[in-house]
Amino acid sequence: MTVRAATPALRDADFVLLRDYVYRRTGIMFTDNKRYFVDKRVHAMMAAFGAADFASYFSALRLGDESLVQQLVNELTVNETYFLREDYQFDGLIRSVLPRVMADRAVTGRTEGPVRILSLPSSTGEEPYSIAIRLLEEWPLIDRVDVSIVAGDIDTRVLAAAMAGVYGARSLQRMPQALLRRYFEPAGHDSYRIVDDLRDAVDFRKINICDIANMQAYREFDVVFCRNLLIYFDEVSCRTAAENIFGALRPGGFVFLGHSESMSRISPIFTPQRFPEGIAYQRPIPGARR
Amino acid sequence: MSPLRKSPVDVVDGTGPDEPGRDELLPVLLAGLVDGDPERRRRAVLALSDEPAALPHLIDRVGSESDPAVREALCAHLARLDDPAVVDGLAGLLASDDAGLRIAAAGVLQQNRTATEARVPGWLADADRDVRILTVMVLAGLRSPHVERWLTDLVEHDPDPNVTASAIDELAALVGSSCHAVVLSARARFPDDPFIDFVVTRAMAAPDREPR
Repeated sequence: MTVRAATPALRDADFVLLRDYVYRRTGIMFTDNKRYFVDKRVHAMMAAFGAADFASYFSALRLGDESLVQQLVNELTVNETYFLREDYQFDGLIRSVLPRVMADRAVTGRTEGPVRILSLPSSTGEEPYSIAIRLLEEWPLIDRVDVSIVAGDIDTRVLAAAMAGVYGARSLQRMPQALLRRYFEPAGHDSYRIVDDLRDAVDFRKINICDIANMQAYREFDVVFCRNLLIYFDEVSCRTAAENIFGALRPGGFVFLGHSESMSRISPIFTPQRFPEGIAYQRPIPGARR
Repeated sequence: MSPLRKSPVDVVDGTGPDEPGRDELLPVLLAGLVDGDPERRRRAVLALSDEPAALPHLIDRVGSESDPAVREALCAHLARLDDPAVVDGLAGLLASDDAGLRIAAAGVLQQNRTATEARVPGWLADADRDVRILTVMVLAGLRSPHVERWLTDLVEHDPDPNVTASAIDELAALVGSSCHAVVLSARARFPDDPFIDFVVTRAMAAPDREPR
């Protein structure tokens, strides 16, 4: 029998210090019921850093060791996802939202430039690649209209994995065999690598959705996917993220949230749009009736 | 697979070599707060959000900003600060005729928790019953350990039946059936007031629920 040593708990005061620091840097709020999750990862980070105690580890964080900060962020972010997750929203993108986007382009005369899609958080890439695959397979205008997909995450480790594009069976559990053969190549040990053309089609970037200055660089997107992220934020961070999504969208653009998330409970500035495939939230067009 | 392409992301950098310095930029950004284009006003708010000298201007704009997205940008920023100047600057908006503005102001005060907690005793002692009623509106969403005590004091002692009724509603929503004895004391204080009777009856009959 193997007995694992219990993870020593952070002192309450240390937990609060670390929690508040992570909150300021990321917008993610860890409540007391996440203590075990945080304790376990922080102790692993302290051991890897060689810190004798929490004080020396936290001092190094506060003194601006950015690589240490990024490692901590990487450890504390949740990256569980898989291809074609909640794909009814991809149905909504293709059948309802993109036709509205194209109609708006025709009305406003904005016929140049690609349709721009932003995926936040990208995690290890399953969502933006799923969007690309669904568009290539099903969007009737894909041969006539360019699509630009930008994907971002605060966790540099998952961004590296996304750019490598190698996936195991768990990530690919919902991927039909025909699509697996078309868009992936075997990479050994039950894993598959996404084909180069598809991998090169997604632009991965480090993006912090709660960072106003960082997010101001991203504008004029037609569609934003921001699914299952806001559930980790407190009210203030949610409002900041909503504000930044608003700024990233062009007027008339749409954002998809996760199935348990509601923009209406976060911010009054979006207009909910009900489609047969579900709800998306629209940045209002100035002068248009809501 | 060419229809999908990697295109350069527009990155907006406002600190190029020909850009004005920080001191010269402040008046430009402040002027942006009253630009005719709401999107420019919204971006001015974001650009000023890390500029302490802009805070009084941002507070002032909340009451006069007509565009919902710009108002939300202002309120989302002010909600993050927990600053007495924010609380003092927005408290007056609780009496606005604009319901959206009242709710927005209350939301900012509720997020400025520590600064608001410091002002609540004074508001609750104000001679103007409307101030006390509006304070109850703020207490409804203030995450403070003192809220239950403040509401209880109002239910037990406030001389005005409308203030008392507001406090009964919020206290019942906050603590459920554990407030029944306190709520009944209000009925005893206003034995001939049918509205208090109605509110007390409703509070007593409400299903118990998880404390919020």
